[in-house]
Amino acid sequence: MTPNIAIVHVSNPHWRGLHLWLPLFLLWIPLVLLSPLILLVVFCVCLAGRVNPWRAIAAFWGISCSLPGTDVHVSAHGNQVLVRIL
Amino acid sequence: MNENRRQILDLLAAGKINADEAERLLVALEDPAPEANGPAEPQPKTKAKYLRVLVEANQKGGPATVNVRVPMQLLRAGVRLASLIPAQAHEHLDEALSSHGVPLTLSQIKPENLEELIDHLEDLTVDVDAKENQAKVRVFCE
Repeated sequence: MTPNIAIVHVSNPHWRGLHLWLPLFLLWIPLVLLSPLILLVVFCVCLAGRVNPWRAIAAFWGISCSLPGTDVHVSAHGNQVLVRIL
Repeated sequence: MNENRRQILDLLAAGKINADEAERLLVALEDPAPEANGPAEPQPKTKAKYLRVLVEANQKGGPATVNVRVPMQLLRAGVRLASLIPAQAHEHLDEALSSHGVPLTLSQIKPENLEELIDHLEDLTVDVDAKENQAKVRVFCE
């Protein structure tokens, strides 16, 4: 399943912080609309790099589908960054 | 010499059993008895879903922590990217790796090797405890 939502929290002691919920599923709308152009660019780049375009698309699709569940939390000196992909 | 063995030898000495029977009894005594319900079946191993990296350090400005959870599926997808590296780039990469002390030949790594590598990561646990910097690093699968 492709990622649907990304949560980004950034905070530090001197600042109220940033709490973002990014609706990644909305990216499907421009992606579908621009898909002919994107596919054309991908094919050209792959042919220039002598890479099988189908394998490249499959690899990147596999990566995007396995992103949900990724969780990165870093805190130091009172600063905190949290990135979570659902 | 235990009691059972002594009894068998006593029977042999008394002529109540012959040498063959005594040998069979001694062999039976040495072999452990089979379990009544057969050997225990190994528990099915649950597959790890995530690779966790935990870092805790006490610095001058305060404690610092890093907590990263990466899906194993993402690692599998990532290593498949290696198959996209063009063949002509392999030589350059091999040279660069060997110059940095990593004698690795990328062309010899097959996708099934990479899958095997990821599978074996599930058994990996790394614990680093640096007392000087009061830092702890843990890498494990869950």
